[in-house]
Amino acid sequence: MNSASRMPLAWLAQRVLMMLVTLLAVITLTFALMHAVPGGPFVSEKMLAPEIEAALNAKFGLDQPVWRQYLSYLWGVVQFDLGPSFKYPGVSVNSMIAEGLAVTAQTGLLAIICVVALGVPMGIVAALNRGRWPDTLAMFVASLGIAVPSYVIATVSLYVFALRLGWTPAFGLDDWRGYILPVFALSGFWMSFVARLTRSSLLETMGQDYIMTARAKGLPAHTVMLRHGLRNSMIPVVTVLGPVVANLLTGSFVIEQIFALPGIGRHFVLSITNRDYTAIMGITIFYAAFLMLMILIVDLLYLWLDPRISYGDRK
Amino acid sequence: MTRAALTPEMWQPLAANPTALAEGSSPQATRGFWAGVRSRLFRHRSAMAGLVFIIFLVLAAIFGPMVSPYSYFEQNLELSNLPPAYRAYTVDADTEVFVNRSNLSLYRVDDQGGLSALLRPDSRDMINRQSTWQIGDKAVVLDYGQRPPVLTINGEVAQSGGLSINARNPFGTDQLGRDVLVRQMYGARISLLVAAAAVLTNFVIGVIYGGISGLLGGRVDAVMMRFVEIVATIPLTLYVILMMVVLQSGLLSVVLAIGTVYWVDMARVVRGQILTLKGQDYVAAARTMGASTSRILFKHLLPNAFGPILVTLTMLIPSAIFIESFMSFIGLGVTPPQASWGTLTSEAVETLRAYPYQLLFPAVAISLTMLAFNFLGDGLRDALDPRLSS
Repeated sequence: MNSASRMPLAWLAQRVLMMLVTLLAVITLTFALMHAVPGGPFVSEKMLAPEIEAALNAKFGLDQPVWRQYLSYLWGVVQFDLGPSFKYPGVSVNSMIAEGLAVTAQTGLLAIICVVALGVPMGIVAALNRGRWPDTLAMFVASLGIAVPSYVIATVSLYVFALRLGWTPAFGLDDWRGYILPVFALSGFWMSFVARLTRSSLLETMGQDYIMTARAKGLPAHTVMLRHGLRNSMIPVVTVLGPVVANLLTGSFVIEQIFALPGIGRHFVLSITNRDYTAIMGITIFYAAFLMLMILIVDLLYLWLDPRISYGDRK
Repeated sequence: MTRAALTPEMWQPLAANPTALAEGSSPQATRGFWAGVRSRLFRHRSAMAGLVFIIFLVLAAIFGPMVSPYSYFEQNLELSNLPPAYRAYTVDADTEVFVNRSNLSLYRVDDQGGLSALLRPDSRDMINRQSTWQIGDKAVVLDYGQRPPVLTINGEVAQSGGLSINARNPFGTDQLGRDVLVRQMYGARISLLVAAAAVLTNFVIGVIYGGISGLLGGRVDAVMMRFVEIVATIPLTLYVILMMVVLQSGLLSVVLAIGTVYWVDMARVVRGQILTLKGQDYVAAARTMGASTSRILFKHLLPNAFGPILVTLTMLIPSAIFIESFMSFIGLGVTPPQASWGTLTSEAVETLRAYPYQLLFPAVAISLTMLAFNFLGDGLRDALDPRLSS
């Protein structure tokens, strides 16, 4: 059976439709929340003259009825235009995102590579040496990685490696060493999580009948585990990659603040403290859309990994 | 083959014979299952360690701030940034002093071994970078022209004694001279309050929502789960941040925000459980006997799904605690002077260069708490899995 017949277009269309509905809900929710906030975007300690405030409201369309504002915002989003920033004159939310995305994507991508390239082998080593010291060590490290919050990993490693030992810069991404600590702090939790998941999943897969068959044919234990066991035990690991992306995004809020990286997370937190409503809305919507796209990609990957799964005849 | 004689007393109703009732009835069997779970859990060492730590934490959070002589907001700028442990210098027979090399201050060590009084220098020589104190007949000079600053007593370089605990503030003080220990325990209160809010939300909304969705099934289930899907697509932190923007930062907002959206995972778990349980015979039996839908849900299905609910709960509590500390860390959580482990950590980061040890206590507290809940959750899951009881 080829994958096209397992994944009819109807399924894909349904998924995309669901995504759009979710996105619409997110847009409506953020819009409603931002309008529920007491005080307009131009209320500050420095009182503006009423004429200026009226002019600003007119410029940003805030004198229109709420439903008109909502519709025009929605129309903007459809055209991939998230509007102007209220706090930085002349800066659009689009350009804020574009500027921050490069930084966040770099660290995020490196973090995902770390999660897969270090977490999976850690789990395999632990499973191969079940009950012996490499297993105990790997699972101890993984327990720590799950328990210690990312901001603690970030600050402690900042102190030890940047301030005390001086091996890495304390902020910025000027050379490759600047990436080490942010990526480490960002990926710590999920690396540990994936290591534990790989270990338990691999051990469970090894109890299946087809593994027994492969062993009975006389294949060596390591070959069986790596060739037959690993591919199937990767399915749960792939499933968590969607949430991993989500967590890396939110994790970037704090990591980018600690290491002073000009990414989207930092823009987001700054726009919240600045009460830059259009920026908050725009970045939230961007996050939501990005996440749903990631989850869709993970579902497709899942299909490719496990031929037994068929989304088409689920109902 | 002999036939057993049926004597009239065998036909007595069981109520008249209490021992017979206790032997073969089902409540005994249920208690047996939970007794097994309990004994398996008690044998799980890391789970027990986690449980003991959580109990300790709860006690410290409730009683600690009551017992402490200080309050979490009481400032004392004279005694700011004091360490939890220090090395004292002996000036004369009854005077010992401690030098804080980062803010170049001298403190007197009191009889109990606490740092309780700031000594003001008698003269300051800014040009030569020296401060001088007259203590008794001795001249104590701190020369901060050198790095690190050097303390001399009557011209001789002073030798410090051994490390002793700061009896006044065992965890030291922060940059406003507040006692870190009491702030730490207050932070535990906030974390546990958030945990309690998460538990309540999950039980009240999550369990009932998932239960109804799973039990009714069909179109109701489809609609309810679509809604859950929409909520679950967006990371929880994002919702909480959005709610905080609307509600303004503060503890109440954190609790409200978590209370509003933090039940989705539980609803999914419960729905899955109910879907597998509702096909069982005892549900059909209850329905045949005319039990109402809510009775079937609350009396028959949910008690049987209690194990997975408990495990999910122990996994959700640490993430609620984490979200609060995370929000507080980036400045969107509790407002000063309230202390949470997140704000304590971010305050420590501000003074990381001069007083790195201030990072230690909040970082260790949050990490140990997360570890304890994770261990307890793992232990519970193992204990509830009958396949593992060999």
